[in-house]
Amino acid sequence: MEFAWNEADAAFRRELVEFLDRELVGWERSETGLGSAVHSDFSRGFVRRLAERGWLTPHWPEEYGGGGQGAWQHFVLGEEMWKRGEPRGPQYMNVNWVGPSVIKYGTQEQKRRILPPITRGEVFWCQGFSEPEAGTDLAALKTRAVRDGDGYVLTGQKIWTSYANEADHCFLLARTGSAADGRDGISVFLLPLRTPGVEVRRISGFVGDHSFNEVFLTEARVGADCLLGEENKGWEIVRRTLAYERVGAPRYARAALVLDRMAERCRADGLLSDSGVRERFGQARALCEAARVLVYRVIDERAKAKEPSALANQARAAMVQAERAVGDLALDALGGEALVEGALGDAQFRNSLGAGIAAGSYEVQLNLISRLILKLPKE
Amino acid sequence: MDFDPSPTQRALLDALGTLLSRSAGTDRSRELAERGAYDHVLEAVLRRDGFLDLFASEDAGPLEATLAVELIAAELGAVTPVPHLLVLPALGLEQPAGPVVASLDGPAGPVRYGAEATQLLLADGDRCVVAELDPAAAEPVPSAYGYPLARVVPAWHRELAAGTAGTLVNWWRVGASAEAVGMMRRALDLTVAYTKDRTVFRRSLGSFQALQHRLAELSVLVEGARWLVYEAAFNGAPAEASAVAAAHTMTALGRLTRETHQIMGAIGLTTEHDLHLWTLRLQAQRAELGGGQGPRRAAADARWAAAS
Ligand SMILES: Cc1cc2nc3c(=O)[nH]c(=O)nc-3n(C[C@H](O)[C@H](O)[C@H](O)COP(=O)(O)OP(=O)(O)OC[C@H]3O[C@@H](n4cnc5c(N)ncnc54)[C@H](O)[C@@H]3O)c2cc1C
Repeated sequence: MEFAWNEADAAFRRELVEFLDRELVGWERSETGLGSAVHSDFSRGFVRRLAERGWLTPHWPEEYGGGGQGAWQHFVLGEEMWKRGEPRGPQYMNVNWVGPSVIKYGTQEQKRRILPPITRGEVFWCQGFSEPEAGTDLAALKTRAVRDGDGYVLTGQKIWTSYANEADHCFLLARTGSAADGRDGISVFLLPLRTPGVEVRRISGFVGDHSFNEVFLTEARVGADCLLGEENKGWEIVRRTLAYERVGAPRYARAALVLDRMAERCRADGLLSDSGVRERFGQARALCEAARVLVYRVIDERAKAKEPSALANQARAAMVQAERAVGDLALDALGGEALVEGALGDAQFRNSLGAGIAAGSYEVQLNLISRLILKLPKE
Repeated sequence: MDFDPSPTQRALLDALGTLLSRSAGTDRSRELAERGAYDHVLEAVLRRDGFLDLFASEDAGPLEATLAVELIAAELGAVTPVPHLLVLPALGLEQPAGPVVASLDGPAGPVRYGAEATQLLLADGDRCVVAELDPAAAEPVPSAYGYPLARVVPAWHRELAAGTAGTLVNWWRVGASAEAVGMMRRALDLTVAYTKDRTVFRRSLGSFQALQHRLAELSVLVEGARWLVYEAAFNGAPAEASAVAAAHTMTALGRLTRETHQIMGAIGLTTEHDLHLWTLRLQAQRAELGGGQGPRRAAADARWAAAS
């Protein structure tokens, strides 16, 4: 066991922080508008500058435009980005799991077509998994893909699709088998959103940094080259994807930063001399730190190229706990000031309402921990 | 002791319910929130029908006024029932037209309906201070939490007699808690109904024990808060009982906000769905009552530290 950063990773973080401090001047103001056009424009520009330095996909193999760096560097990148409100916009998804899924399951042609625009920071992808009747129970999804000549015809509806309003492509799940096949009848499609028959409608939400969308598919025709992996074998891809997604967004880093700022504010106002207030800050800080070490444990697994395990579920659940604690403290400690839109704590609280729902719900994490780590029997 | 509403109380709540079904509710609330407006029409109707006079009336009293506050909040009435129905009558003050706001400890942060408020009640030491407000000087601030908020600027003020701060604080605690109880009950009902209708894994969402227990716990917390509020109101808002009721309400409120949204899933995070109409507004009550810390300390002080 060893808890120190090696020199290369530490140096990478120093260099990165210096770059970000320079590049992100004035950025914080737009942070609550994640998913907005302003934010997306910023992201497109910013990500290209990251790409020029090889910092967009440092962990990808070099043959696919990566830097051949390790899991830790990739993670340092994620941590520093989330801390700052994720200036990459949706492109963390490209980098974390869209690209890696294509690297693992794609054909040579797909890799040539899809990966370079990602490594250059030119495209937005979104995730078309959830449907009105299929959220936690994802295998209940109904969107159909019917083989037609040398392509597929897609019909159905997706919902909660973050960034679909801005994205160029969608990593979409559709049913190629029968409903009775459940998980065994699902395939992954790499769908260009400009395809005729695809329509995106925004849903108004109040989670601080998110814009929700619905994606309607009405006989949208795609070529067979849009199928990722084998027909009906999509679930395996999803499983891996979700494993990457769970700790792909180190949200505790943001919570910890907001907590620091809240503490500064409370100290300036004299509130931090109150032992009750200090206790709450200490508790929230400890939850952020617990999330951090549990996430680091997962990265250690990844760095050693082990199969993704239920440790990711523990880490994800710990992140939810941390985000909630900081969100609650924002309202309890800052009072009416935290209710002002864009004020310190406002986004943290509203984001935290969705923390246990997005990217694998809190209950799903708990169920998996119970089953896989505690070895409890199924209900 | 009698936990059943009397015929008078029942009739009163029926009448108020009918009034609110016409003059308040989710649609009206959305429409007013869009404009950031206070509901002067609803206030006028409540005044006309005598609901602002319940506190000191012969056939009703503070408990009935508190029940009315609960129902007005549950129906999302865009008025300030706590001062109008409880605090001002308890202080023996006239109820001005338009919103009245309060600051229980320290300078006011942004307050509900501050941009239209003409009067601010402040607790200063053991005296209640009544400050006139100039709505033109108020500074509205944007907020996602349902109520229009503004920072207010007091013009001139007068101090009330010694001991009046307690009346203000205690009745405000009871009143804001009554509002919260009414809103929490709606949010919980909505969530429970949703879990019965929603199917996941080929069964109803509400059939999972992991969720049942959490909903059941919420009902325990909310019912506890509700009856503490009624009892405190019945007894005239004594310091300890008011603090205890508010402290428990705040515990329930924190949990309820988390759990209803968690259990409802993504749909509950949209503005199209109604849940947020109650849960986001509840955060203003939370802020107003000092995040629970104020009432919790007051409860402990009232019981154990009175001598120190
Ligand atoms: C901010 C945000 C961003 C999102 N972005 C995307 C996106 O980009 N793409 C996409 O495809 N989806 C996205 N989603 C959708 C997300 O994946 C779903 O909301 C999630 O899977 C839950 O589904 P649901 O909302 O339908 O809730 P439901 O499945 O109806 O579940 C409701 C609640 O019940 C709990 N529950 C369900 N089953 C059980 C059980 N067996 N035991 C105990 N509890 C249970 C759930 O955990 C949840 O808390 C996003 C959601 C949010 C909040």
